This record gives sequence, C-alpha cells and structure tokens, in this order.
Amino acid sequence: MEVLRNITRRKLRNSLTILGIVIGVLALTILGSMAENFNALLDGGVKYFSSSIQVGPPDGQSASLLPLSKLDELKKVDGVAAAFPTYGFSAKPGQVGAFTVGVPDTIVAVDPLENNWGNLRVTLAQGRQLVSTTTGEVVLGSTIAKEFGRHIGDRIDLPVRPPDAKPDFVNHTFTVVGILNTTRTAPDTFAYINIADGQTLLRDSLPAAISSAIDVSTITEGIDVYGAAGTSLSDLDRLADRINASVPGVKATKPSDIVNSFKQGGAFFTLITTVAAVVALVIGGLSVVNTMFMAVAERVREIGLKKAVGATTMNVMGEFLLESTLIGIIGGLVGYALGASITFTINALTPPGQATLFLVDLPITVFAIGFAIVLGAAAGVLPAWRAARLDPVTALRNE
Amino acid sequence: MAEIKLEQLSKHYKRGGEVIRALDGVTLDITGAEFVAVVGRSGSGKTTMLDLMGLLLRPTSGRFLIDGVNTGELSDRERAHMRAQKIGFVFQEYNLLASLNVIENVMLPLRYTKGVRDGRQRATELLERVDLTDRVKHRPGELSGGQQQRVAIARSMINRPSLILLDEPTGAVDTETAEQLVALLKRINRQEGVTIIVVTHDLDIAAQAGRVIRLKDGKVIADDAQVPAGAFASS
Repeated sequence: MEVLRNITRRKLRNSLTILGIVIGVLALTILGSMAENFNALLDGGVKYFSSSIQVGPPDGQSASLLPLSKLDELKKVDGVAAAFPTYGFSAKPGQVGAFTVGVPDTIVAVDPLENNWGNLRVTLAQGRQLVSTTTGEVVLGSTIAKEFGRHIGDRIDLPVRPPDAKPDFVNHTFTVVGILNTTRTAPDTFAYINIADGQTLLRDSLPAAISSAIDVSTITEGIDVYGAAGTSLSDLDRLADRINASVPGVKATKPSDIVNSFKQGGAFFTLITTVAAVVALVIGGLSVVNTMFMAVAERVREIGLKKAVGATTMNVMGEFLLESTLIGIIGGLVGYALGASITFTINALTPPGQATLFLVDLPITVFAIGFAIVLGAAAGVLPAWRAARLDPVTALRNE
Repeated sequence: MAEIKLEQLSKHYKRGGEVIRALDGVTLDITGAEFVAVVGRSGSGKTTMLDLMGLLLRPTSGRFLIDGVNTGELSDRERAHMRAQKIGFVFQEYNLLASLNVIENVMLPLRYTKGVRDGRQRATELLERVDLTDRVKHRPGELSGGQQQRVAIARSMINRPSLILLDEPTGAVDTETAEQLVALLKRINRQEGVTIIVVTHDLDIAAQAGRVIRLKDGKVIADDAQVPAGAFASS
C-alpha cells in the first residue's frame, strides 16, 4: 500500500514517468507484433523450403517449363524419395492489389500426396482434400475463402476475371471441397487444385502459338523434390548438387540458399522493429531512473528513520526497487493493453482477403510486459542502492 | 529493561587534519529500568553517545554491550535486527512518515521484525495509552506537535523494546506539552520497566530523571543518581 501511495503522492511526475514506459511498451507491442506476423509468414517459407528442393528450368531459359519426364530422371538420383510436379498461377491476374504483408492470392496445382512430405503441412478446417482423379475441385486457404465468401459446396471461378479482361480470357468453375486451417503463412491465400486442372490452366496461360504446339499434359512448371523423412538441410543441399550434376536440363536450387534468404529477411525486420522499440523503452527507463533518484533525494529522512527502526540495507533497497518495478508494471500493462487494442482494431478493420498486419501472441505479450518490469526494476537499482547506503545518522538529521 | 555497558567508548572524526573527539573514552553502566538524562552543551557528545547506543554509529574504539552482547562484533544486518527488537527511538522532529496515517506510523517498525503477531492490536493499545485513539486514521500533518510526539513514542514501543532513546523529545513543543510528554515517559518507564535514556537541554526533564549524566568535550564529567536507580520502576 505504501508503495502505491509513494507513487501517487507525486502524481504528475510519476504519471509522466509511467507515460514514458507506456509509450515504449506500446511501440514494442505494435512493432513486435508486426515482426511476429512477418516472421510467422517467413517461418512457413523456412519450413516449406527446408524440406524440399525446388527444381526448375536451367538458368537462361525464358519460360518456366520442364518436361514431366524429368520426374522419372529425378527419382533415379540417389537420395531422392519423392518428386512432384507443381504449377502456380495468379488467382487475380491483371489486378494491382493493395499492399499486404502476405502472399498474393495464388492458384497452386499439386498432387494431394505431396502434403504428406515436407515440414509445412496443411490441415483441413472443413471438407476434404483434393482427389487426383477428379477435376473441377478446389481447396481454399482460410484467407482466400473469407475474401470470396466461399463455403464447402460453393462454386468459384478461377482465375478471377479482371474487370478489363480481353474477350479471349478464360477461366473455369471449381467446386469448393475443402477449406484449410489458418497457417499464418502462404497457404492461407492459396487455392489448391489438382495436377490435371493445373495443366489446363497452364494451357490457358500460354500464348496460342505455343499452346497449340505442345501437349501440356507432358510438361510442368517446376518440380518439388523430397529426400527421405528426416533428411537434413545440408544433405538436401548435397542432393541438389547431385541433381545438377546428373540430370541435364534442370536447375536444382540448394534449399539452404532459399532458407537463408528468408531468415535474413526475418532477422533484419525483427532487428529494425526491436531496436526502434527498445530505444523507446530505454528512454522510458531513463525517466524511471531520474524519478527514483528524485524520490530518494526527497525521502532521505524517511530512509534514515526506517534504518533507525530496524530496516536493513536490503529492506530499504527492496522498497525502492519495488516502487520502480511497480512503475514498470503499470507502464507495461497499460502500454501493452493500448498496443494490443490498436493491433486488434487494425487487424479487425483489415478487409477480408488481405493478410492481417499484426500477430499478438504469447511471446510478444511476455516480452513486452516482462521487458517493462525488468526495465523498471533495473532502473531502480542505482537509486535504491544509493538509498540503502545512506548513513542513518546523516539521513535522520537531513533538512 | 536493558543491561547497558559502555567501556572506554570513543568516537573520533577527522576534519581536515584535525581529530574531533566527539566521545572520548566513556565508561558507563546502566542497569535496570533507569530513567537517564544525558545533558551537556552543544558539541559535548550527547547526540554521538545516543547514536552509538542506538547502533546507528560504530565506535572508533571501546566496547558497547547491550544485554551482554558486544555490539561491535555484530554485522550491519545483526545491528539492524537488534535495533528493531531492543531499541526504540524518539526524535526531536518526530520523524513520522507523511504518507502513512497514525496507526500505520506506529506499526512501521513491525515491517522489519519477524514473527510479530497481533501488531495492529498492539498499536491500538499503545495509541490508547498515549491518548490518541481518536486520531488513528489521521495523517501526521493533521496533528499538533505534542500529538505527533506521542505517536512517535507509541511507535518506539511497538516492538516491546528494552531501551528507548530520545533525542531532545520536548525540543519542538511548548512547556505544557513537554510536561505531559515527560509524565508519559515516566509512566512508561514505571509500568513497562523500559530503560529510558533522554538526551536533552531541558533542565526540567533532567530534574525528573533518576540519573543525570553530564558530558563535556566528549567525556563524562558528572554521573549523579538523583534517586536510587530503578526507583521509577518500583514506585
């Protein structure tokens, strides 16, 4: 109780000090939750690309097309356990979307079996998975399903016809058979179709002169290669080298190259946001130091009295530390509450189909509040030490 | 009551190249529930002696024993615990905490004492004894000087100390209030059997003490028992 009274008896000064912490924690919560959101997105990429090798056409080839026969060649390479063709198309061609931190809406054609490989596995919230032999079906990610307001059994035309579509624009009607759980990463904005439908969309996307000349059922845009379950990243890198050495006409990218670029992007973003927030907090912390030194200076006689009636050095130090820590706790809770409210509000106002900007999760909650508390306590150490070391005789007769 | 021994107790300070002998080889025995007044002119060493007996200062040389314990051998922590358990303080300026009300001020020393139960009840009883039951929730700023000093006296007794040290307790109150405070101290001395040592300039207080110790230049120049030691406790 006394510690609360001590804080409230200098209302303006302590309010300003707490405000400093509030602003710091507010910044930490907002920027930190933005970093968490971004990192969740990147973590998905890291998971996906750390368990597969992306195989595409060799450097210098203008079109991203490979003969499907390469699948068999790849499967013969020592260490390859599975290989799947992949096709990807913009779900909203010709549209310039608003800025989002997420992956744009994309139609991805996959073999349903591929989900059993790799580290990033999607799960169904509703409905069922695709069947490789049934065309005209789609499984929607959580965000794209919300964006188009589609439910199980609904129909959706893909790709979405642009407002200024040319007369020869072609799209197809798909029946929604499944909706995925939220992953906070790429699959949320993906519409999954099977390989046969992917090849149809590939044909539609090719210039007429080319599409009439080739059989799309024999080509793919890329191939995902998997090693046996548990294959390490370095082993996958070596496998990529073996593919490049033994399979002509393809380029296997080392997974570590992709993973490292994701990690670097994430680390840089986290660094910028964290440094900005920590600078704000440290400024708040310095104001706590200043406030506590002033409190010590004002309460010299009180300290002397407490020592006279039996307070030990640690008792006095503890009381001042408790006071500065309480300032940190109040500032931390208020700052976090404000920051979380702002992020929830902005997330709630984000239009369906756009990835939300913030992710307020347990780590950022613990970090924001915990940092404020530790900062408050740390800021109190020096003033508390000074208070505890005061000579009681001098302190008691202080004017 | 406390058994107090000062054996060649000295406290010297250095000021520039000069050595100030604030207390210089004082030897005293205070036994039983005595009411002792320490008098002397300013700079005679009264307050230094009080600070040494209150374990707020460490002596330059000599020994100071309370109930047979050589306090010079105690750590700072042990000295703090001894202050909490055995010694009560009353100061000229009351030194009440403005942020606490009357009963909270009285209970303040309990914060630093382990194993004390019914502290609030004890505080209430003490406030009854100093006739402040109607001021329990008041803040110090709402009390007169005499009332504040009575709160300070109640606070000094909360841990049932064997020794109460008072530094000019009537220095900031009028004569009538001073007489009331002295009467209260005499009652406490008699009824509780607490050793009371008062540092004072006030000759009226000194006249009512059972023993008067006169200091000059850090030395005891007179130690007069005005009435037999313990007379207040037995009367």
